[in-house]
Amino acid sequence: MSTPARRRLMRDFKKIQDDPPTGVSGAPEDQNIMVWNALIFGPENTPFEDGTFKLKIEFTEEYPNKPPSVKFVSNMFHPNVYADGGICLDILQNRWSPTYDVSSILTSIQSLLDEPNPNSPANNQAAQLYTDNRREYEKKVCKVVEESWTNAYTKS
Amino acid sequence: MADDASDNAHEKPTQLFTLKKWNAVAVWNWDVECDTCAICRVQVMDACLRCQADNKQDECVVVWGECNHSFHNCCMALWVEQNNRCPLCQKAWVIQGTGK
Repeated sequence: MSTPARRRLMRDFKKIQDDPPTGVSGAPEDQNIMVWNALIFGPENTPFEDGTFKLKIEFTEEYPNKPPSVKFVSNMFHPNVYADGGICLDILQNRWSPTYDVSSILTSIQSLLDEPNPNSPANNQAAQLYTDNRREYEKKVCKVVEESWTNAYTKS
Repeated sequence: MADDASDNAHEKPTQLFTLKKWNAVAVWNWDVECDTCAICRVQVMDACLRCQADNKQDECVVVWGECNHSFHNCCMALWVEQNNRCPLCQKAWVIQGTGK
């Protein structure tokens, strides 16, 4: 059944294929355009470099008036990512705008990786290490980068 | 009159041609910053995704705000229900006009 949300997602899909953003990719599941699997590559020259992080995006019929739910499937160590992979990012909550699409969501999450906001921590340990012990922080990040290369450590 | 024309230089010149038909052609476009509705991603000149599906193409009008950003009126009506700000510039949404 075609609904406005599904048609909008078809447009998002066309856009991400015709004009792929750097370092991110995403596609809907075969049978359900409301659920997307995405990949974010860790930005170069950051501790997240070379990481290939998987995410799952779930849309409702209210999209684009309501933001989708976006979660890391790969293990993540980041001040603004909860233990369950949920992301604390203003544009996915109160600063959402219906002009965003899958490309801009993924690009925003990619830039969040190296620009965390330690003032609204979702992972207290990561926030604290980011502020007080950057070396230890980068070691932990390095670990999730290595884990991201295999499926063995990912939650399903 | 044609006989006298050569002698009397101060007289009005002979009528050289007559305009028999005049076809005026005008093109127009919305004088707005964006021609695609950033909410549903369809051109504002066309009906929005919702109206296309509901076969209400004729009712789908454009709305533009004081910030000069434009959207489909129905796309915007749904958005302002939850946040009365322009989705593009985040300024308070004040309608400047609607039309087709």
